[in-house]
Amino acid sequence: MDMSTTNENTTPDFLQDKGLTFKKVRANFWALFIDVFMWSYTILVSWKIIYEKIILGLRFPEFSWNQPLIALGAGAVVAIALHMTKLSIGRACMGLMKRDENKPIFREPFMAFGLVIIILTFIAGLFLSQVSIREFLSASGLIGAKRIFTALFNPNFNIIADATFAAVETIYMAFIATAFSLPFAFILAFFAARNLMSGSPLTMTIYSLVRFVLNVSRSIEPLVWAIIFSVWVGIGPFAGMLALMLHSVSSLSKLYSEQIENISEGPIEAMTATGAHPVQVIWYGVVPQIVLPYLSYTIYRWDINVRMATVIGLVGGGGIGTMLMQYQGLAKWNEVGLLVIVIAVIVWVMDYLSSQIREAIK
Amino acid sequence: MFKVENLNKVYPNGTHALKDVTFDVQAGEFLVVIGLSGSGKSTMLRCLNRLHEPTTGRILFEGEDVTHVKGKTLRNVRSRIGMIFQHFNLIPRRTVLTNVLSGTLARTGVINSILGIYNEEDKKKAMDYIRIVGLEGKENVRADNLSGGQQQRVAIARALMQNPKVLLCDEPVASLDPATSHSVMQYLKKVNEELGVTIICNLHFLSLVRQYASRVIALKGGKLIYEGKPLDIDENWFKTIYGEEAVEVTID
Ligand SMILES: Nc1ncnc2c1ncn2[C@@H]1O[C@H](COP(=O)(O)OP(=O)(O)OP(=O)(O)O)[C@@H](O)[C@H]1O
Ligand SMILES: [Mg+2]
Repeated sequence: MDMSTTNENTTPDFLQDKGLTFKKVRANFWALFIDVFMWSYTILVSWKIIYEKIILGLRFPEFSWNQPLIALGAGAVVAIALHMTKLSIGRACMGLMKRDENKPIFREPFMAFGLVIIILTFIAGLFLSQVSIREFLSASGLIGAKRIFTALFNPNFNIIADATFAAVETIYMAFIATAFSLPFAFILAFFAARNLMSGSPLTMTIYSLVRFVLNVSRSIEPLVWAIIFSVWVGIGPFAGMLALMLHSVSSLSKLYSEQIENISEGPIEAMTATGAHPVQVIWYGVVPQIVLPYLSYTIYRWDINVRMATVIGLVGGGGIGTMLMQYQGLAKWNEVGLLVIVIAVIVWVMDYLSSQIREAIK
Repeated sequence: MFKVENLNKVYPNGTHALKDVTFDVQAGEFLVVIGLSGSGKSTMLRCLNRLHEPTTGRILFEGEDVTHVKGKTLRNVRSRIGMIFQHFNLIPRRTVLTNVLSGTLARTGVINSILGIYNEEDKKKAMDYIRIVGLEGKENVRADNLSGGQQQRVAIARALMQNPKVLLCDEPVASLDPATSHSVMQYLKKVNEELGVTIICNLHFLSLVRQYASRVIALKGGKLIYEGKPLDIDENWFKTIYGEEAVEVTID
């Protein structure tokens, strides 16, 4: 049956309002979940990192999957024991804690617990990323740094022609990736727009499917795609272009579809009422509301793609990134210095131009 | 003109917005629909040109049953019914002329309309209507840069481009100030009297109703509860339609 029957004895006053009861149950569930998570995390971090790594100084402490489970068990016990006290972060987050509004929030016990968690995380983070002032300031390290910086500040201008050519390659690669992604993104955006697809269960399924695929492909970095495509079509600008294109399709589709979701229904309704054909309704009712934002997103995307193309070049995607990688591998720091300057100039110019254009067409 | 029989509208969420509404509209009338917020006025208007699907009942338009027509036939029916909205619903970032010409979409081919090709006759007519609604010289101004009253006049010109037999007006003056309201109502009256276009109009202000309506119907909770001459709405009817506590406010 429904929620109200299961809660009959605990919350009789909410019986009339099933929605409210359900909300309350859900809030309590999440509050407990947050508490268990916080305590398990605290226990696990204190045990594995603070105690074993830092206090015992073990380099490679033994790890088994039992340990997080033990932490979870212990965390659950502590969380349940302290759930109704003022230490419960979960109840505070879900707004279930009755607190004195006049008392400053940072004097509440749960804030202290939160602070402890942040400090623990900070210490663990310092340790795991091997922050070491000693290495940062060691004599040999400083000499190396000095050598590189002197070279970087004395760029070798003899390779400027090659560098410019490579940079142009990168810009074109980014442009083609953006241009090829446009038609795909344009069409996919309609299928990923909730307001257009909420009509029937079938369209809703298509919507969810398209959204899912877009989200997955967007969450994989273009760098990873570049590696995949370089195996597929061979190392070079084409692999880089495909990687950028794929990522652009998913990003642009998302931005475009959000724009479609935000359009006002008025003009669509008005065009429908004149007896216009559905294609005309889209052309007159939808398109005028989205072209400029689309254009602005697309230019911005090109700008991002130029930057990403440089990074992708580092793994062999061609263009100036690959060139940078080659000189770096040969430890030719003067040449690297020049490439860094060229990249900085391109990024700056693209950034400036794209923001100027976007401002102008607003 | 219209014959509405036992019209019911139930929204997917279960709201029963229209309950067994039956009425006729004669050619040449200025019919005003009144009623509280949420009484179903907009729903009824949108059922007439099928922006909303009626749940049960029948709608006859010029003798033809249009309750369930689809596709090309439906578009043809809609093209003979103009519509004016509270928030004007003009196409943003497009000129007044483009907006007015968009009233001809039903008879302009899909390809031509995408390329922006309209026939000369329509273009001339658009200029005429822009002049008639007093916006001469504003043809190439972006529609969203006009004032509310001007935008509503563009919307009237757009609707007239359809050569409509009837104009549906959903609270055409609800977002305008009193003086502008009257000017827009005057244009509607002119359209009604000089062009012979039937008008069905939702209104909130009884003073406007008395001044412009030739006949009034009132909705309450989705039911049609009054049908008669505007001057016959006395104190008692007023309280029935708007509730015991209501006090009449005037606009002049
Ligand atoms: N799209 C919709 N989905 C569900 N219910 C709706 C929808 N549109 C309107 N309703 C409901 O139908 C009823 C009638 O609404 P309608 O907009 O026709 O009233 P109205 O008389 O035009 O009111 P107002 O004067 O505020 O414009 C209301 O209860 C409203 O909440
Ligand atoms: Mg309404």
